[in-house]
Amino acid sequence: MSEARPESQSAVPSEGRSVGGWFLYALGFYNPISWIGWLARVWVRQFGLGPFSFVILNAVRNQRRATLTVLSVASSCALLVTLLTLQRELTVPPESEGASLRIIARNKVSLAQPLPAKQLSIVERIPGVVAVSPFTFFGGNYKGEEMTSFAQFAVDPARFRGLLVEGRISDGSYDDFIRDRNSCFVGADTMKRYHLKIGDRMKFTGTFYPVDLDLRIAAVFQGTVDDRGVFFHHKLLDELTGDPGTVGTWYLRVASAEVSNDVIARVNKAFENSSAEVRAETERAFQMGFISMLGNVKVLTLSISAVVVFTLMLVTVSTMSMAIRERFRELAILKALGYRRRELFSFILAESFGLAALGAVVGIGGAWAVWTFVDLQRLTNGFLVYFEVTVRTMAWGAAVAATLGILAAIGPSVAVARMSVVEGLRTLD
Amino acid sequence: MALPLRYNFRNVVVRWRTTLFTVLGVAAVVAVFVLLRALARGIESTSGNTGDPRNILVVRKGSQAESGSLVTRTQFRTLQYFDEIARNERGEAVVSAELVMIVSAPRRGGAGEANTLLRGVTPRGMELRPQVTLVEGRWFQPGHREVVVSRRLSGRFEGFEIGGTLKAGPDHLKVVGIFDGQGSAFDSEAWMDADEARSIFDREQYSSVLLRPRDSAAAQAIILRLEQDKRLGLRGESETLYYSKQTMTAAPFRILGGILGVAMSVGAVFAAMNTMYASVAARTREVGTLRVLGFSQSSVVMSFMMEGTLVALMGGIVGCGLALALSVYVQARGVYFGTMDFQSFAETLFQFRVTPDLVGLGLLFSIGIGLVGSLLPALRASRLPVIAALKSV
Repeated sequence: MSEARPESQSAVPSEGRSVGGWFLYALGFYNPISWIGWLARVWVRQFGLGPFSFVILNAVRNQRRATLTVLSVASSCALLVTLLTLQRELTVPPESEGASLRIIARNKVSLAQPLPAKQLSIVERIPGVVAVSPFTFFGGNYKGEEMTSFAQFAVDPARFRGLLVEGRISDGSYDDFIRDRNSCFVGADTMKRYHLKIGDRMKFTGTFYPVDLDLRIAAVFQGTVDDRGVFFHHKLLDELTGDPGTVGTWYLRVASAEVSNDVIARVNKAFENSSAEVRAETERAFQMGFISMLGNVKVLTLSISAVVVFTLMLVTVSTMSMAIRERFRELAILKALGYRRRELFSFILAESFGLAALGAVVGIGGAWAVWTFVDLQRLTNGFLVYFEVTVRTMAWGAAVAATLGILAAIGPSVAVARMSVVEGLRTLD
Repeated sequence: MALPLRYNFRNVVVRWRTTLFTVLGVAAVVAVFVLLRALARGIESTSGNTGDPRNILVVRKGSQAESGSLVTRTQFRTLQYFDEIARNERGEAVVSAELVMIVSAPRRGGAGEANTLLRGVTPRGMELRPQVTLVEGRWFQPGHREVVVSRRLSGRFEGFEIGGTLKAGPDHLKVVGIFDGQGSAFDSEAWMDADEARSIFDREQYSSVLLRPRDSAAAQAIILRLEQDKRLGLRGESETLYYSKQTMTAAPFRILGGILGVAMSVGAVFAAMNTMYASVAARTREVGTLRVLGFSQSSVVMSFMMEGTLVALMGGIVGCGLALALSVYVQARGVYFGTMDFQSFAETLFQFRVTPDLVGLGLLFSIGIGLVGSLLPALRASRLPVIAALKSV
């Protein structure tokens, strides 16, 4: 039994290799699976054959098949983890401690409908409100870009300071930003991406507003959940549009998370039955609402994941049954020697589980490494920002692979259990 | 001499169990690829279906979409008297100043809210879009707070049925009719009277102007005149051209389809290789016999590659069949997918569109998987030493 040389390899001529031959040679030489086999053989020579080394030798005896199985499980696992991460990126906004303390109040009609600026005096007198600033999405395109991925907002700089809970000023001075009406306050990621420094100018072409901006960078912030935004004076926007009477939304901060629900109710109540009714919600709820507008993305990624898992199952099941069918005769001999069904089942299970586990480690580890070390924000032009492969996601991938490893062992085990020794010994294929 | 195809076919049938697994694996890959492409196609076809080539849409210079555009009343007054605009049988200029608004409405079944596009139109605007037809109820009356919604929206939003209400803040609009936009972008819109919309939403300006020039020469003249008149700050474009550019929403689906197709096919290729290698190993003696009978190495390679391709192609056919069946089922059920259009900030509704060229692409894709997956096993089969192969059990 220790002579676990793959029968297929003995037929390969070692000289005059073709391209395919060289590929296979490289596959063998640089293949960790052959190292595993080698280690197992060394172990057997030293300590004799045990059930554990028996399973390992069996699993890697057809090196090519073991490699292909591991690779196909790995690629499916990597894909599954990537899809789940994409789903998370698109549907779960990043957590931030300040998000539950901040409230966004928009026009009840829709986000696109402005609010009257005169509401400010009413909002700031509502009990529980610590700070409030107008917060208007400008939606401009940065110098020459077709579609700019970071947002620009018009705010009241002095009031906006009270809303910055996390994050810090990493460069420049916030007072400078307050003083200069033509200046802006920029996130560190955007500074880095466009190689900007304090004092540089940023130009934006308005797509929603018929005006263009030309702003001087006065200060830089860092350490918030999204270090990409650009903030500028609402007064400048009012001046350019010639309309000082409207704002996009109100951005407010409450004293504590406990009072936020009361504040939301009070804000909504304050403008009930007015020409501009308001809908206030926590920043997090607001982001979730925005995400729900993406529509059926969640269903879509989940159903694709399901198909990937299904394919993964097909691959492992078919490989395992192939591996076992090839060995029907040997298993029959084992049976004749007195091995029980239970033992044979554990051999098959261990082999299938081991291959699936190895594939999962390679695939999930690979996906983690790639998505952790590749700068996706730059690659996707800001569409994907965090793409964090969480432990939870990886655990999902591992659980799926483990389940499949177990499932794939069932079919062949049943076949082996059913076969009679005589029939098995006669099998040629 | 080539081996007959029947030999491969029979082999595939005899080893039906492993064949079935490979076929299903390839089928899943092809189905995902085709369906994602079909979604992108669905969005594109909505845009491509919209507009009349004779119409010109005028928006503010610099704005990418109607919803971000502003046309002042002064601008409209200038535009309205352009000579090049056609007149209808009553002698009125065929030009319509419209307002596009975003209204947030609750989805049916309590699944949150989504933005819908509410368009304030004029009688001329409706003449300019004959593809929009009333299917139920009646059109809104000018001066009344009434709205007509598309059939697709009606199935998706709470209260979007005849007798229901569309709430726009403190204002309530009564739904009096349902229209069908025949697969155009208007199928994701609700329509009301333009002047009433301006009063409800407190808008001085319009969003866009749609007009019909007298002929194509007049159309060119208007576009040129708008471009050259810097004071006006407007931009004219053929309506079909404008909508054909509004396909940005389709891009993520197209890209996702491509990436997933490639990533999943890597797994499928490994699986196909595995099956083919097993098939070669099991037929070592058979291959030796074939070689002794005088079949050349190249015909053995050809034969095995044919076999692999045949299996993958079967998977491709099953996959395309699955994609087609799913899209027919979804269409029969009247289910639409919705996603936010980042240009208008409103939800657009679309369906799978499995076109013949997508099916062709899916089949080609499966053939590719088959060829790549069977190349190495086939080479291996052809290189088996004849005598050793004959001796093997």
